[in-house]
Amino acid sequence: MLPYIVLGLFAGAIYALASLGVVLTYRTTGFFNFAYGGEAMFLAYVFWQLRDRWHLSQWISIPLLLLVIAPILGLILEGVFRTMASRSADVQIVVALGTLAFFTSFVPIVFGGTPHPLQSIFSPTASFTVSGTIVTANQAGTIVLVVAAGALLFALLRWSRFGTATRAVVDNRDLAGLIGVNANRVGQVAWIIATMFAALAGVLLSVQENLVTYVLPFLVLYSFAPAILGRLTNLPLAFAGAIALGVINSVLQKYGSAGFVAKLEGSIPYLALFVLLVAYGKRLVEVRSSVRLITGAHVIGDNTKRYALVGGALAVIGGTVLPQTLGASTVGDLAQAMAYAVVALTVVVLTGWTGQISLAQMSFAGIGAVVAAHIAGTHGGLFPLAILVAVLISVPVSLLIGIPSLRLSGLFLALATMAFALLMDNLVFSSNSIGGGLTGLNLTAAKIGPLRFESAQSQFYLCGVALIVTAFGALWLRQGPVGRRLQMVRDAPDAAATLGASLTLTKLAVFAACAAVASIGGALLAITQGTIAPVNFDSSHSLALLLAVVLGGRSLISGAVFAGGVQLVQLLPLNANVHTYLPLGIAVSVIMVAREPEGLPRVSLQQLRYCSAVLYRRRMRELLRLRPTTARTAHAVGSNV
Amino acid sequence: MSESLLAARGLTIRFGGLVALNEVDLDVAPSGITGLIGPNGAGKTTLFNVITGLLQPTAGDVRYDGRDIVRWSPQRRGRAGIARTFQRLDLFVGMSVRDNLRASWEASVPGGIFGRHARDGAALVDAMIERLGLEDVADRRAGTLPTGIGRMVELGRALCTRPRLLLLDEPSSGLDGTETARFRDLLVEITGTAQHDRPAPAVLLVEHDVRLVMEVCEQITVLDFGQQIARGTPQEVRHDPAVIAAYLGDSGAELTGARSTELTGARSTELTGARSTT
Ligand SMILES: Nc1ncnc2c1ncn2[C@@H]1O[C@H](COP(=O)(O)OP(=O)(O)O)[C@@H](O)[C@H]1O
Ligand SMILES: [Mg+2]
Repeated sequence: MLPYIVLGLFAGAIYALASLGVVLTYRTTGFFNFAYGGEAMFLAYVFWQLRDRWHLSQWISIPLLLLVIAPILGLILEGVFRTMASRSADVQIVVALGTLAFFTSFVPIVFGGTPHPLQSIFSPTASFTVSGTIVTANQAGTIVLVVAAGALLFALLRWSRFGTATRAVVDNRDLAGLIGVNANRVGQVAWIIATMFAALAGVLLSVQENLVTYVLPFLVLYSFAPAILGRLTNLPLAFAGAIALGVINSVLQKYGSAGFVAKLEGSIPYLALFVLLVAYGKRLVEVRSSVRLITGAHVIGDNTKRYALVGGALAVIGGTVLPQTLGASTVGDLAQAMAYAVVALTVVVLTGWTGQISLAQMSFAGIGAVVAAHIAGTHGGLFPLAILVAVLISVPVSLLIGIPSLRLSGLFLALATMAFALLMDNLVFSSNSIGGGLTGLNLTAAKIGPLRFESAQSQFYLCGVALIVTAFGALWLRQGPVGRRLQMVRDAPDAAATLGASLTLTKLAVFAACAAVASIGGALLAITQGTIAPVNFDSSHSLALLLAVVLGGRSLISGAVFAGGVQLVQLLPLNANVHTYLPLGIAVSVIMVAREPEGLPRVSLQQLRYCSAVLYRRRMRELLRLRPTTARTAHAVGSNV
Repeated sequence: MSESLLAARGLTIRFGGLVALNEVDLDVAPSGITGLIGPNGAGKTTLFNVITGLLQPTAGDVRYDGRDIVRWSPQRRGRAGIARTFQRLDLFVGMSVRDNLRASWEASVPGGIFGRHARDGAALVDAMIERLGLEDVADRRAGTLPTGIGRMVELGRALCTRPRLLLLDEPSSGLDGTETARFRDLLVEITGTAQHDRPAPAVLLVEHDVRLVMEVCEQITVLDFGQQIARGTPQEVRHDPAVIAAYLGDSGAELTGARSTELTGARSTELTGARSTT
């Protein structure tokens, strides 16, 4: 038993460090740092670069990492996030997720994508024995380091002026300002400390797990459950929770480390995250600045007719011209992109129209794809039945997640859907009998009544019709009572409630409908892909989907079409650089335009306006001349009275 | 008081250390206008939030139409006929004025979203727009309207649920003189005439324009620091020493008769400051 406990303490210690970082920034700045794992990974790579590639001594590289590079990164991030402080919760979440995507795409570009081992910062070979159990220097060193870091933070918060100031800010942001506490400064220090912890956690974790770009950010997600255990505010509880999680996980390994049990063990942190979110429920309160948050307001039905006309015309032209002029493989890619856009549409409805962030839409699509592959048969004869079953599975599943988590506010819902997506990855899609293992599942055609959709062209039409039907269906619903209900719940939830509109019921209905449509989109994706690899439906794809939609305009149908376009670019056999840099470009752009509910289209319009303003210099000069005059008038009026 | 439409007893609510309502009793008659006044921060809006279910009281109960509703959700209270407006406008800013009213109707009718009663709703909404003089702005987006018109839209939105009890939170703040006068006439008309098949709603009015309150209310309850300090007819309240003290502090003696318009919700220092300039 003892060896397992030692291992557990060791693993838990690293997550404890990460939990402290996440909680510290959240309680002082109100910003939940989804990107924490990305930062940790980036900093671990930086350390590797310094020590192992440039052969700097550890006595130089560690202080350089912890005292220079991490604080600078912390300050940069604090700067980025502070500009979002007065934005609505969904914008903040999207920016944090964009930052996560930035790190996961940036690190492989800079440091290469191949995994590297990382040698311990402690003596790699030394070890000693405690009552018969071998403890390596790395394990002991890690535990000591983490406990020291935790104690230091505790002392800092307890006895230093920074601690007093933090307490003032946490208690009441506005009052803190009044008594002379600079909340921004406090936030900066919190970010610096948190990023230093990220560096430590990243290095310590990489020693254990190697430097792997697609694993590290997700391992750090383990620390979210303890952070929630401390309700994102209680540091000691988060710390203790992480240690406990590590020990529980490790002790369980004693009882079985293969097959489903192993998967279950790997899922415990996500399961814990979900269960804690649900169990705390309404007791989870978001830390907010006192500024009243205004989400971008959109007019229902504004321009819809024009969009519909233009969109319809483009669809007809595209539908007649493209399949005739393009090669079969490109037409197939187009079909796949359109199926993807159907899934993306559910993100528009959820995020743009009701303000709920779901990080699980690709998981619902995955349910559709897997069900279709299992039920429709190789020739797709039972495709309609498969769709029905997919809907019959995804809707109850969505209710299962939705009923407990939809009464939570934005951030916690995002976390709950993320936990669900990770559980789906770990427990369901990775199962060989469900997901088809390494070979995947095959589904190359669909038969609907007398129609057979096997050729790329026919699938193009199938997906095109599906996209048009869902897009116009959504628009039509949005213009009617359903749209009004969504808008009222979003614009003024209190007023909506007092009028008799049930917030939870509305959200739940939308969530379930979106799960159903996503699963249908997933089934379509399945037939256009032919071979279904469950990894294409994992949580990181849900994240990529969300970001693409935000960039294209999360409140517009065009957001979904844009996401489909991004997918198309990734499918087309283009220069490899395009595929490498596209996710990075999207991540960076999302961070910049997240505040715009209408994404890039709106931003480019503003740029146009700005340009035209510069061109009309005369107008500008007029405007400039006007300002001093009004000021003087105001002054004159004031002195007369 | 069994004849009250709404009867709150011993309502207490604490926000951390602050006791925002302390054992407050309130009665609203089944018809006519009941006034609720008090200086800023007295707890009037908080009391509205408790009545409509947006806040749960720490103690006390609320009876509406003879039933204890304190555990009801805001939705259920809304459907039972309690409607309100908000001191800080809380319109559906992304929708047109007409859609604001329509959405309200749909929300208040069970199944209203499925268009079962769509035609009734459209007629009601059109009538309401005309009644409130909102024809010119009916298709404008609510978020772009000036406060005065916004208050009218909120009133219309509340009325579209065809309430039995209408709570108005400072409906005339942000209105100019003529708008206020028009609003007063409207208020009297609303409480005097049955709507369609329903009796006229009873109104609970929070208002800082004390002249308006004195003119239209039959009963007035006065709150100060979360405590009920007076209750009675306008005449009784106007001469109540506790009320005068609450509004004016030590210089309360100045407050008599016609000068009661100066009960503007400002504390004594502000009030005397304002007077010295005139
Ligand atoms: N949600 C809340 N949390 C904390 N304090 C509140 C809250 N709502 C109101 N208060 C406080 O309760 C008191 C009464 O406020 P309010 O009901 O708005 O007064 P009124 O409407 O009479 O001006 C004020 O001191 C206010 O700051
Ligand atoms: Mg108020």
